[in-house]
Amino acid sequence: MKIRLEAIRDCLEGVIPGSIATASADGTPNIAYLSQVQYVDGEHVALSYQFFSSTRRNVLANSLARLALIDPFTAAHYRLTLQYLRTETEGALFEGMKAKLAGIASHTGMAGVFRLLGSDIYRVLDIEQVPGRTLPPRKARRNPLLALRRCSEALRDCADLECLLAEALAALAHHFDIEHAMVLVPDALHEALYTVASRGYQSSGVGSEIPFGHGVIGVAARERAPIRIGHFSSEYAYGRAIRASLSASGQGDRLETEIPLPGLQDVRSQLAVPICAGGRLLGVLCVESGQDLAFDYDDEDVLVALAGQLGATMLLLQHGADGPEEAVRGRAAVATAGGRPLVVRHFDENDSIFLGEDYLIKGVAGSILWAMLRDHADSGRVTFSNRELRLDPRIRLPELGDNLEARLILLRRRLEERAAGVRIERAGRGRIRLCVERSLQLQDVPRQRPNSFTRS
Amino acid sequence: MAACAPIDAELSRLVSGGISISLASCSPGGVPNMARGCGCRVAPDGRALTVLLVATPAAALLDDVRRSGRVAVVFSQPSTHFTVQFKGSDARIVPTEADDPQRAADYVERFAAELAALGYPGDVLRTLLLACPDDIVAIRFTLAAGYSQTPGPQAGAPLGGPA
Repeated sequence: MKIRLEAIRDCLEGVIPGSIATASADGTPNIAYLSQVQYVDGEHVALSYQFFSSTRRNVLANSLARLALIDPFTAAHYRLTLQYLRTETEGALFEGMKAKLAGIASHTGMAGVFRLLGSDIYRVLDIEQVPGRTLPPRKARRNPLLALRRCSEALRDCADLECLLAEALAALAHHFDIEHAMVLVPDALHEALYTVASRGYQSSGVGSEIPFGHGVIGVAARERAPIRIGHFSSEYAYGRAIRASLSASGQGDRLETEIPLPGLQDVRSQLAVPICAGGRLLGVLCVESGQDLAFDYDDEDVLVALAGQLGATMLLLQHGADGPEEAVRGRAAVATAGGRPLVVRHFDENDSIFLGEDYLIKGVAGSILWAMLRDHADSGRVTFSNRELRLDPRIRLPELGDNLEARLILLRRRLEERAAGVRIERAGRGRIRLCVERSLQLQDVPRQRPNSFTRS
Repeated sequence: MAACAPIDAELSRLVSGGISISLASCSPGGVPNMARGCGCRVAPDGRALTVLLVATPAAALLDDVRRSGRVAVVFSQPSTHFTVQFKGSDARIVPTEADDPQRAADYVERFAAELAALGYPGDVLRTLLLACPDDIVAIRFTLAAGYSQTPGPQAGAPLGGPA
């Protein structure tokens, strides 16, 4: 029976390095160990090209090569006959391999030495199993298809984004033992992603941001491709990435508005999968583990499938979120408590909001809260519909990729975590209620000349 | 092809120790063949290597070597990434010595110990490399070329000219 590449993906996790045999035009053989062999599809693998070697010289002259792979669990030994096709130096495959190689390099003390110059794509012409003894196959941890079905079932009754994301993260914990996970959604204005849901972290990190292209999450978003690393790599550690990015853009002085990202202190494995639907990037699902090589190709398949359902549902909910608007506009029913007023400051420059001395939120979510607080102060209004917020000229919502509901979740969670006496809550389909439990003093700080932004 | 300096005592100790060994050959059609080694002897003058292999999984490579005499052997130490490749063009299959089966068994244990220190279980390696003593063969060749393949700026550098 022909051996399928899918059946031997365990050999491609890099536990036991593969080796490649090539021959020059005059028939001189060469053999080299490989840092990385990447599954591309049922008929192709990609090998890491890190420097100009005899292997590379040979395959450019004679494209036929042999690859030896060993199953790290059963010791089954395979030889693949390959034909070199081309080298990719950018794009999803390249970025995925670059991230993985950074993890491998860091794990093996080769950070700074291993550097991906290209992904060499080979067609797999044949796979043979080398005669020899093998160990019994490892016991399956679970039936991934059944577990995926359970996750899928858990999501189908979710009627709002917050429920959907919370259920998705809970289902990953229950059915896949993935205890640390988060969802980020893109902010089209800032070219960043912000955390909208998380599970299994000391602090939720809701509202924290990561720029596109930074860390596994930012690269997964930019490339719209899953990024999976099995060992810690400082190059892809996002806590550092955002700080570096801010300093590089001269915004280091604004770090007081930074919300720490959720994340494991001793993270070893990360898998970030883009959530796409209708040709748009709607978010990134990222899972983490403190164990090396915690996620394999099967986990990647599962998360990509689940992200498909998440994306389709997110898109559907986004379109239906406004719902039929109720005509009645609520008024403040409860008198706000007295006492010292809470000073709420709004900085026009970036729509950041501070409750007292504490940073709350910025950007679109900040402008939404400010509009509601102003209306509340002016007329005592407490109920707002998604539709009117979407059309409100004071709220600078990007026309494309607008995800109002994600921003409202973010705002609600941030207010809840601050517990400063200002909350928002759902008030039926497509509507939210502002709950102000103490008197407020609103201060608008107009835009100032550049670099004069301060907290006081 | 670069000429190769003889193997000195330190290198001899490395390539005869618990180190990963793989071999490659080339068939008349230009398709490479490969096999894993399971032990190595260095000639007293350091100018030749005898590499032990398990014959059954190496059948195609042995055919190529009989036909062409050309072989490439790479040694790599997982803990340090030290990697070196030697090439020969006069390779031939030679009778094994009486202690070669024991040499192969010792090699597997030394290699397993090296990997155990890195956290890899030894049973997979033993399953892969431990062979029936009757199935062990030896390939001997004089060093026509040698290269460092340790990852880094020196990768690919020849091991030096004739001493």
